[in-house]
Amino acid sequence: MVDLSVKIGNLHLKNPVLMASGTFGYGTEYRDYFDVSLLGGIITKTVTGKMREGNPMPRIVETPCGMLNSIGLANVGVDRFCQEKMPELDHLDTVVIVNVAGSTIEEYSEVVEKMQGYDRVDGFEINISCPNVKKGGLEFGTDPEITETVVSGVRKATDKTILVKLTPNVTDIVTIARASVNGGADGLSLINTVLGMGVDIETRKPHLARIVGGLSGPAIKPIALAKVYQVVKAISIPVIGIGGIMKWEDAVAFFIVGATAIQVGTLNFIEPDGAVKIIQGIERYCEKNGMRSIGELTGSLQKG
Amino acid sequence: MGAYHCQVIQQIQIDEHIYRLVLQAHEIAQTAYPGQFVHLRIADQLNPLLRRPFSIHRVLRDKGQIELLYRVIGRGTSLMKQTKPGDSYHLMGPLGKGFVFDGKFTTAIVVAGGMGVAPVFFLIDELLALGKSVIFFWGARCGSELFGVLQWNQSAIEIHLATEDGSQGYHGMVTDPLQTFLNHRSEDASLAGFVCGPRAMLKKIQLLSTRTSFEWQVSLEETMACGVGVCQGCAVMLKNEGFRMVCSDGPVFDLKNVAFDG
Ligand SMILES: Cc1cc2nc3c(=O)[nH]c(=O)nc-3n(C[C@H](O)[C@H](O)[C@H](O)COP(=O)(O)OP(=O)(O)OC[C@H]3O[C@@H](n4cnc5c(N)ncnc54)[C@H](O)[C@@H]3O)c2cc1C
Ligand SMILES: Cc1cc2nc3c(=O)[nH]c(=O)nc-3n(C[C@H](O)[C@H](O)[C@H](O)COP(=O)(O)O)c2cc1C
Ligand code: FES
Repeated sequence: MVDLSVKIGNLHLKNPVLMASGTFGYGTEYRDYFDVSLLGGIITKTVTGKMREGNPMPRIVETPCGMLNSIGLANVGVDRFCQEKMPELDHLDTVVIVNVAGSTIEEYSEVVEKMQGYDRVDGFEINISCPNVKKGGLEFGTDPEITETVVSGVRKATDKTILVKLTPNVTDIVTIARASVNGGADGLSLINTVLGMGVDIETRKPHLARIVGGLSGPAIKPIALAKVYQVVKAISIPVIGIGGIMKWEDAVAFFIVGATAIQVGTLNFIEPDGAVKIIQGIERYCEKNGMRSIGELTGSLQKG
Repeated sequence: MGAYHCQVIQQIQIDEHIYRLVLQAHEIAQTAYPGQFVHLRIADQLNPLLRRPFSIHRVLRDKGQIELLYRVIGRGTSLMKQTKPGDSYHLMGPLGKGFVFDGKFTTAIVVAGGMGVAPVFFLIDELLALGKSVIFFWGARCGSELFGVLQWNQSAIEIHLATEDGSQGYHGMVTDPLQTFLNHRSEDASLAGFVCGPRAMLKKIQLLSTRTSFEWQVSLEETMACGVGVCQGCAVMLKNEGFRMVCSDGPVFDLKNVAFDG
């Protein structure tokens, strides 16, 4: 038996595999496809202060080994989330982390305050990295001062675990990672999607209505690995690796580089129970390599 | 709904670009109803990455089989056309909310354009089984894309064909004979409309439908990632309700309520 459990802030995850925000709805949509309680945890679609309709269509397009999206944080807003979605989350026997965004600095802490009292919410993931909104997304996550202000605002609003989700679309991700730590983050999630674009050469129109969007899927895995590597070297709080994880082998690579846990995103659309197979694969790998806990794998990168 | 490995029973080429794929899919065949779709994994590889949605073309309940009808248009469907009996596909389904038949109508106007015919065979089978009569308008590019119309009991179905190249039926758009028909029957409470086809056709029929007093259902298509209402990628704007998801709130919607221009 390999001990797959990990601790991030006050969160105790039974295993280090989480579902990434925006790719698992509110945790109930995939109930018919596999046993959600097998997961280490789920991260909800981003919740904002007010309901957001999302961006005009088309919002998604496939790319070689990936996809571009510009959903635009479509969600029901925090009040309806608490009324309608929270009761359903009660039935899930796994850790629930609510992903939060706002178009002003204050909105982040306001949304978190409204959810602070719910026992069902185990922690928050602060999204300062969405490329698909005018205000609050990338604009915040590319500026270290705003990052620190947003995170410390949320820190005052809750004693639950805070993860900060970082964008790769910056000159130096380590600066933003440090700002998040200074603001009081318990862990960092990286990466959010990579800014990308597609063009139809027949019509000469962009593939997405909002022209640019976020690239996800296996195409971004090498970028994500490099960012995790850079951040892990520079800071001491746990890092959750995200980006293009399709198989257990991909996940293992993130742990070797230094991730404490991982998130699975685009894979959910392709293989709803793919994350469960990844958990099994990680366990087998550890067993085969004589590891008693996943902690022995994290950061075990050898010199090249 | 669920996810299943489904064996290919056979694949039949219908014309140059159109194929019919017969799959062993017990669970899906037992519960599917017209207008629902399956989400098909083309291959266990990273490119093409996403699943592809296909309407359920036909259900053979006693054999536990379903049929898909598809046109080869891109990478995914080009790979599919190489399918051989004995191959298998991983399918999620049946997905979405299909057509409903709870209205008081006795005669269904069914309109299909191009590959929009895919869900329509299943629809007609079901309508006839419910004892409704069917007036079927079917438009395509050319005659070779119009197939299988003689299989239904011809006393219960009236068929109007149209081709863009004039090789079979009316020469022109199928919306022309539809319009002529509706000129006389716009207030007929025994009717209900069912439509599936390309967007330009749907817009035209929406215009016609607003002049009728009865209900019209439309099956829509949008590019999809998840197929189950999670990614929010397949949005359609409804006039009074804002965005809805084609995959989970549809693909069948009230035609008069769709805001085609956003
Ligand atoms: C609910 C639903 C049911 C469908 N049912 C059928 C069916 O029964 N038979 C059938 O032949 N097709 C059906 N389609 C369309 C089918 O999913 C696409 O034709 C298929 O995904 C194309 O895959 P590809 O890899 O061959 O093309 P790609 O390489 O992905 O794309 C090639 C071209 O096709 C266009 N395209 C891609 N997806 C769609 C789409 N969903 N609708 C229109 N154009 C698209 C692209 O913009 C591109 O120009 C359905 C779509 C939906 C949403
Ligand atoms: C359709 C889609 C919607 C997403 N929505 C969100 C979101 O609401 N909030 C967020 O923080 N990240 C969102 N993401 C980013 C993912 O959580 C993840 O960071 C990214 O997709 C990279 O992981 P992957 O390659 O495994 O998909 C979304 C991604 C996709 C593909
Ligand atoms: S395809 Fe994901 S919500 Fe419809």
